[in-house]
Amino acid sequence: MDIIIGVLEQGLIYAIMAFGVYITYTILDFPDLTVDGSLPLGAAVSAVLITKGVNPYLSLLAALGCGAVAGFLTGFIHVKFKVRNLLASIIMMTALYSVNLHIAGKANLALFDFNTIFNSGIGALLPASLSRYHTLIIALVMVVIVKIALDLYLRTKSGYLLRAVGDNPVLVTSLAKNNGSVKILGLTIANALVALSGAILAQQQRFFEATMGIGAVVIGLATVIIGTNMFKNVRFIKSTTAVIIGSILYKGCVAGAIALGMNAIDLKLIMAILFLVILIVSRERKKKVKQNA
Amino acid sequence: MLELRDITKVYGLGTANENYLFNRFNLTIQEGDFISVVGSNGSGKTSLLNVICGSIDMEGGQVILAGKDITKQADFRRYEKIGRVYQDPSMGTCPQMTILENMSLADNKNKPYNLRSGTDKKRIEVYRDRLRELNLGLEDKLDVKVGSLSGGQRQAIALLMSVLTPVEFLILDEHTASLDPATAELIMQLTEKIVIEHRLTTVMVTHNLRYALEYGNRLLMLHQGASVIDIAGEEKENAVSEDIMRLFNRISLE
Amino acid sequence: MKKTGTIILCVLVLCGMLVGCGSGGGSGESYTIGINQFGDHASLDNCREGFLEGLRMEGIVEGENLTIEYQNAQFDSGTANLIAQSQVSNNVDLICAIATPSAQASYNAADGKDIPVVFTAVTDPVAAGLTGGNVTGTSDKLPVEAQLKLIRALMPEATKVGILYTLSEVNSESAIADYEALTPQYGFEIVTQGVSASGDIPLAMDSLISKVDVMTNLTDNTVVGSLSVLLDKANAKGVPIFGSEIEQVKLGCVAAEGIEYYQLGIQTGQMAAKVLKGQMTAEEIDYEIIKESSLYINEEVMADFGLELTPEYAERVNSVKNE
Repeated sequence: MDIIIGVLEQGLIYAIMAFGVYITYTILDFPDLTVDGSLPLGAAVSAVLITKGVNPYLSLLAALGCGAVAGFLTGFIHVKFKVRNLLASIIMMTALYSVNLHIAGKANLALFDFNTIFNSGIGALLPASLSRYHTLIIALVMVVIVKIALDLYLRTKSGYLLRAVGDNPVLVTSLAKNNGSVKILGLTIANALVALSGAILAQQQRFFEATMGIGAVVIGLATVIIGTNMFKNVRFIKSTTAVIIGSILYKGCVAGAIALGMNAIDLKLIMAILFLVILIVSRERKKKVKQNA
Repeated sequence: MLELRDITKVYGLGTANENYLFNRFNLTIQEGDFISVVGSNGSGKTSLLNVICGSIDMEGGQVILAGKDITKQADFRRYEKIGRVYQDPSMGTCPQMTILENMSLADNKNKPYNLRSGTDKKRIEVYRDRLRELNLGLEDKLDVKVGSLSGGQRQAIALLMSVLTPVEFLILDEHTASLDPATAELIMQLTEKIVIEHRLTTVMVTHNLRYALEYGNRLLMLHQGASVIDIAGEEKENAVSEDIMRLFNRISLE
Repeated sequence: MKKTGTIILCVLVLCGMLVGCGSGGGSGESYTIGINQFGDHASLDNCREGFLEGLRMEGIVEGENLTIEYQNAQFDSGTANLIAQSQVSNNVDLICAIATPSAQASYNAADGKDIPVVFTAVTDPVAAGLTGGNVTGTSDKLPVEAQLKLIRALMPEATKVGILYTLSEVNSESAIADYEALTPQYGFEIVTQGVSASGDIPLAMDSLISKVDVMTNLTDNTVVGSLSVLLDKANAKGVPIFGSEIEQVKLGCVAAEGIEYYQLGIQTGQMAAKVLKGQMTAEEIDYEIIKESSLYINEEVMADFGLELTPEYAERVNSVKNE
């Protein structure tokens, strides 16, 4: 059963990162590679603060803030200097690599001897009989808080504008609003969430590793596409819920492949095939909907 | 009063294909004017609207609004006073959002987009009333995504949205061109009603000469970046449509 | 038909998850060991093979009384995590973790689960936090002092020693710290050049090579992967490169006072055997570093540079041919 708990833990924590990718990729239509840098950024900030004796929960807020700055800068580079979106995010991702190493001071920072959100604060209040579920419970609480906050935000005036800018930037201009500012806002929120996810991840695995962000954006995209396509026609499931399920499914597939004794070399290939199957299945559905109409 | 002074717009400046669209073009739009603009393809109709709205850069000239030079003002700032409807119905609405969300979004124009609830519940009845006036049955589809509606329905919503908050100018960019004749007729009637009701200064680009003659108090025919006809008031009322048609056909064929 | 696709996918995923819970761990005379290896790499593979050999020497033989669950994380710490959790879930008798992130992931997953973790190829177990609890293993800390002695013996005139390393490799950082602490005693000065990716190596090498008399290599994965680039540029300038293990000398480094990962693996396997047989717990065993360094030279390259071994080295040398 531990592996299922492990899958749920990681799926939930990565879901927070996937929310960020959902905002940039699905809502803003912005291919944001900053994620590969802002995930370890959050991890580095949180890990360093914890080793300096800062409360692990406060370190999450700091990570959130640093991620926000990273996202803001990606947006700023894109909007103010008119650098293409993909390139702007690559510039930021590259810069963050150095920044992360500077923040952490070294490429690997262990947290085994320190308190984390999973064993202090609320974590310490959970009954000892549930000890094997502590990490899962805290991760679940975190995801639910972020999900509700994001759902609520997307229904505010500011949230409406954010959705509009990806959907139809011309309309945003017609509403006398600067497209660029709205995009920057979206990137700021998205990368804040990604960094938060990185901070929680570092505390769960209890170490920061400079290379932990490599491929993060791919995991995020896979998660968002799997989740949103699977539940496209299921009206009562919100996109944010679909993203959480997508994230758990993704990690479930990785764990399944490991459990079946598949070579890790083939893992990415399996994910690519899964990806393709889901895209084809959801395309088939779309066709049918059209025929019915 | 909106003035365009010595507008110069060149495409491909410095290349072999250098093409002066406007060369010191002038136009004065009086408050309350409803100008119908017709002209051949490439005569500068849409570029004229883009100059007014600040959507394109120009090589020379000034845009003066109520005595104030707004040439350097960014497009999105100018839209504080302008409502615009495009030829493509998907340009004026957000397809992934519901009718209600679209209306709410438009209703908040020139107010802060903050963390208050996106939809003001007290306004829902107002939106419903406006939609009911369209006679398209949209008032019962508030939670339907706009992307699943027909072009005509979307264009009607776009038109409503563009004037949901007080604006001074209405810019219509061939807004009936991609609709079927019956829907186009409906949208034109709606347009006239809105223009009269809100006393809007309107510039309407159209391909349809009949609409240009039928609607508005002033007719502008553009050809190669210059106005070949500019008649208003009684002169427009009394204009013989055959004469205008003949001229229109001639320049269209060139 | 609409949801068939979704259902099939869900079933597939669940099957995958359940299969992982099926196999239980052995007890008594037969053992199950989970190997969590961080990536594919000649040195790490040597570690694993040595580990199995070390167990065999103690009578624990794969296929007879030992089942191995080998998983490779392809250098992804998230995957290393899942592998660790999967092995803990299968209730293996012991986890062998190869390289630092895998060791940390395994240690974290096994915490409180009464599954001992024996690691290898971790340079600095203290900094990695792998010292308290049900964990032990071997460090691949480089024999820096022996290497400096060797360079001094072969090149009495050299003063500046260059090191190229990757910024993201914690092992390289700690090795450089060791070098910097020891170089003054041997009259050397260390010149370092960091890179962030293998693509940076050619330019970084051009800049570094003009400033140094000799270079020494660490076990830095990225740099070792581009060793041929380093050797080409260094040979063109007449600068010899000293390696840190046998594989590097095979590729054309002049000599090395290095560690042999196979040997390190054997040492680790013997520690694991003690734990499995219940002679000691992992907690009771301190982590170990390689007992003595091995000297390797590449005679061909030595001759090219006109270098000769002093008698005291000549008697313990292992000669290696170009590969």
